[in-house]
Amino acid sequence: MKINSHIMSEKLKVLLFIAPLLIPLLAFWIVPFGWSIYISFTDWDYISPEYSYVGFENYQYMIEDSYFTEALYNTFVFSLGVVIPTVMLGLGFALLLHKNFRGSQLYRAVIFSPWITPTVAVSIVWSWVFETKSGLVNLLLAKVGIAPIAWLESGDTAMTVVIVVTVWQAVGWTMLFFISALNKIPTSLYEASLIDGCSPLTRFIKITLPLISPTTFFLIIVNMINSVQAFDQFQILTQGGPSGSTRTLLYLFYQQAFEQYDMGPAAATSLIILAITGVLTLINTEMGKRWIYY
Amino acid sequence: MSTQSIDLPLGNYQVQQQQADKKQKLAKPATPVSTLLKSASSLLVKHSFLSFAGLIMVFPFVWMLSGSMKSNDEIFSNPLNIFPEQFRWQTFVETFESAPFGLYIMNSFTVAFFTTLIVMINSAMFAYAITQLKFKSRTVLYFIVMACYMLPGAVTYIPSYITLANLGLLDSHTGLIISNAASVFGVFYLRQVFLKVHPSLIEAARIDGAGEVKILWAIVLPQCKAALATLFLITFITNYNSYMWPSLLITSQDLNLIATGIRQFFIAEGNYGLNWSQIMAASTIAVMPLLILFIICQKTILSGIADNGVKE
Repeated sequence: MKINSHIMSEKLKVLLFIAPLLIPLLAFWIVPFGWSIYISFTDWDYISPEYSYVGFENYQYMIEDSYFTEALYNTFVFSLGVVIPTVMLGLGFALLLHKNFRGSQLYRAVIFSPWITPTVAVSIVWSWVFETKSGLVNLLLAKVGIAPIAWLESGDTAMTVVIVVTVWQAVGWTMLFFISALNKIPTSLYEASLIDGCSPLTRFIKITLPLISPTTFFLIIVNMINSVQAFDQFQILTQGGPSGSTRTLLYLFYQQAFEQYDMGPAAATSLIILAITGVLTLINTEMGKRWIYY
Repeated sequence: MSTQSIDLPLGNYQVQQQQADKKQKLAKPATPVSTLLKSASSLLVKHSFLSFAGLIMVFPFVWMLSGSMKSNDEIFSNPLNIFPEQFRWQTFVETFESAPFGLYIMNSFTVAFFTTLIVMINSAMFAYAITQLKFKSRTVLYFIVMACYMLPGAVTYIPSYITLANLGLLDSHTGLIISNAASVFGVFYLRQVFLKVHPSLIEAARIDGAGEVKILWAIVLPQCKAALATLFLITFITNYNSYMWPSLLITSQDLNLIATGIRQFFIAEGNYGLNWSQIMAASTIAVMPLLILFIICQKTILSGIADNGVKE
């Protein structure tokens, strides 16, 4: 009896510690997840109380829906467009800045600063920079004699602008993770390579790159997940336009759910986003297990 | 006498060394000078490249400030001036008058502060439970929380919206705070930090008869002050800047957060006269509190991310 009550009080103690997190996690993450799956099999329109079960119709419709396939393609283009320059620039800056020297902290802070600021506010600033009539970019182009480009109003360039803004915000954060990884490389390895007389380039390819590859991989995946979930800059700069050329999956979800109130298809779209981020996360954990050098 | 006898050989040695240096310099003077030049020039290249990159990174902020200080007439007539002909602080007064930006900032601060406070408390308790308390399901529990890491917000928005509507918490700060009260990142980050706390400290406290809450509060937390500060700042900044979810929940104008407020202002001003000067002033109002916070706390934020890195 005494032992039993002891176990009970132990369990109660654990519950006391985990409940404050578990309650909101259940209410706003886990239960909604199951609920979304359920909604994705219905044709619910949010306003009317009745709805019917439609099976896989929302998912089947998706494949035929040109909006969906276009959004999937745009998400892909946007992710790659963001990830490649972000990781390359982040690594470049980290290589220049991972050793402390006079001014290195200032440079790090400056490069990181865009990450701190609200995406909405800085996207507004960028929307002025790329504005067709009075934007800075077109004014500068005019100085060199290039005709103004309708950056945000034309389907060919709008995505590029959103990518530029996103890379600008993400690069400092990526750099910090690379700095952390570069500083973990044991100096003895470099000393050995100096004795062997390696050129800086061979040293970079043979020592630095392999040793930071887990971090590189992590940063590629995390930046991809972040770009799949990017919304603020799209809403300010393009609203998915012109004519759907910057409509990503998340933006399509937003329009389906909160502009058209098609909750069924919207939930289905959100689950496709989940499938993408889920696969990326799994790849990340699997590769993380395999690639530990330090 | 004795000091001299020590000084003398040292002095001699220095002189010898200097002479040796001179000899070396005379022998092959080209090497040190050229390496010096080479390293100086590579330093120059590095600094000029970094300064150039840094300028590009801060340029949008500079351009924003410059735009907010110019009059709309000047933006039209002299668009490329970085320094305005005269600094027009008046624009800020007008902007504050045309929309309640002070209130928006207060709202953002309040919501971000209370959300962060709750996140710190419940993440710390949860991380403590899965690192220091012994119970069967703790690994499973950790994996469930981590699995939520890959759950995109979009998947939870529709049901969370309905839940908040049922609770009567749509269009309220309370609804916003409680729906953001679970942070997977908080658990992930603090677990990593708590694992580094030496177990003997906790054992000793248990033997002394301290309760678990007291151990967490008086022994574990004081050990990780720097990490707690970083988590606080990152959570606060993320919540202060958040836009999508608040824009769905909040409909009353006086409950707007800064991000939703500034977007409304942008649409209202942008669609008519293209009042860029006031729009830039509004952006400045939104960005400045965070830039100031960053300037004050940059060490905590930068080293907190760079030191804890990725791998566990």
